[in-house]
Amino acid sequence: MLAPIDGLTGPQFRSVLAVGVFFAGIVFGYLVGRVNKRLLYAMDVDDAVEGTTVERLARRAGSTTVELVAKFTSWVVYVVAALVALDVAQFSVRNPLWYPFLSYLPSVVLAAGVLMAGVLVGDKAELYVSERLRSVKLPSLSVVPLAVKYTILLVAGLVALSQLGVAVNALLVVLFLYVGAVVLFTLVATRQLLTSAAAGVYLLLRQPYGIGDRVAIGDHEGIVQEVDVFVTHVEAEDREYVVPNHLVFKRGVVLVRE
Amino acid sequence: MGRSSDGRVTCQHPFYLRGEWYDKMSRPPDLVGDIVDGIDALLLFSPSGAYYERATDLDDTDVVVVATENAVGAEEFVELPLEFDDIRERIRFGVEGALSEAVVTDGDELGCAAPLFGEDIDTVTRTRADESKQSGVYDLFANSRSDPGVIRDVFEVVIELGQKGQKGKPVGALFVVGDAGKVMNKSRPLSYNPFEKSHVHVGDPIVNVMLKEFSRLDGAFVISDAGKIVSAYRYLEPGAEGTDIPKGLGTRHMAAGAITRDTNAVAIVLSESDGLVRAFKEGELVLELDPEEY
Repeated sequence: MLAPIDGLTGPQFRSVLAVGVFFAGIVFGYLVGRVNKRLLYAMDVDDAVEGTTVERLARRAGSTTVELVAKFTSWVVYVVAALVALDVAQFSVRNPLWYPFLSYLPSVVLAAGVLMAGVLVGDKAELYVSERLRSVKLPSLSVVPLAVKYTILLVAGLVALSQLGVAVNALLVVLFLYVGAVVLFTLVATRQLLTSAAAGVYLLLRQPYGIGDRVAIGDHEGIVQEVDVFVTHVEAEDREYVVPNHLVFKRGVVLVRE
Repeated sequence: MGRSSDGRVTCQHPFYLRGEWYDKMSRPPDLVGDIVDGIDALLLFSPSGAYYERATDLDDTDVVVVATENAVGAEEFVELPLEFDDIRERIRFGVEGALSEAVVTDGDELGCAAPLFGEDIDTVTRTRADESKQSGVYDLFANSRSDPGVIRDVFEVVIELGQKGQKGKPVGALFVVGDAGKVMNKSRPLSYNPFEKSHVHVGDPIVNVMLKEFSRLDGAFVISDAGKIVSAYRYLEPGAEGTDIPKGLGTRHMAAGAITRDTNAVAIVLSESDGLVRAFKEGELVLELDPEEY
């Protein structure tokens, strides 16, 4: 690869060229960092990461997440520039001692990026979920945001590890078991809700009965007060039945006309 | 030393007399401090976090926060459903809410600190919690069949309708909220229901767009407990016997009062003649607002 360069400049200029490449790399890396920072600010990443642990850690270190990411990209470019420069100067970069490191470099960069993004997204998801659950005053629900966070971290970790070529098959099995269990339990637990919702969509679209109609669903007879996706409120003399919509389909509805 | 108008020498500085220091100058807090002297509870209206922190340091005085949301995380909190612009209305609501929530008891002396001219608390007044003088305005929001949020949304729609009118002309409207099944059975359609098979809820953004249409429709709007607009063009047919509403109000108000006596609904009326918004519950007028003040 370097033969044409040799032909062009002669071996004595090689070190000069290498130094030029290195400095160009440094300037380029700095610019990339700057542009990256501007881009991240333009995409409101600084607002998005507000309150996450990564941001808090970065603040404690006297920096911000955006600056760290920008610096990280700069450093990647610096390192690449240095390696190219060394290669141009025909230092012994290509000997077997350096090979694993060189071939690893892209994977390491990618893995670090994935891990960083994973931690950020995980933190953000945790914040979002706990924000949504705040109105529900049930302390034991605080497990849910944590579960969400660690699930995202697990996935990010797996992706990063597989980038590095670590055998993750065992961890993958664990992940699949875990996700499968969650899906299965959710399905079993919310089966009635799902069937009710499916029935509710039909009821809302077709409106076989509406508010004010007198209906009988099973042995519950009364005036319809409310129809929503999951339940129908039927009011009798001194009681209000809250009938799940799947019962409407199971038992059928009698419209009572006096 | 200074000389007052009648020529006597007055002392502008603290002076020492019979073993005690006297302060001749009386500062404003001494003068108006009576207002909050010996109160049982202090009602803070929309306080800032720092203000609330300072208030919690008070001894033997309960602190009740009255605001649209519990931003300061107060233990004793009364939710304001509307930003009552009239301070008297706001305080009345706060006191009735505090009574209903049993954070104060009948006969308690209450201090009220509220913002009047600005965002911060700048007004202090005193009142007494009186069970017998309740107008039911808190009851209207908190203890009706429908959600407080739904009633608030209807109020907002009606107030906006009152402000805008139709092409500058005043319009009237009648919204019956809650117990929709019963209301539907005590009314009949005047025309085809434009809300048939629609799923519009008050508070949906689209309702603001429909406001102009609303003012054109005759008859009552029926709104369910959850805020769904069930029907428009309803002619209400409640039994009107025994409905006692102030004289001088028209048929719309009479119908509103009567339907709330016959059902568990709440009726909110925009008057065409005087432009006021009135709310009825159990056949009685409980709240009167001027939409122009919001």
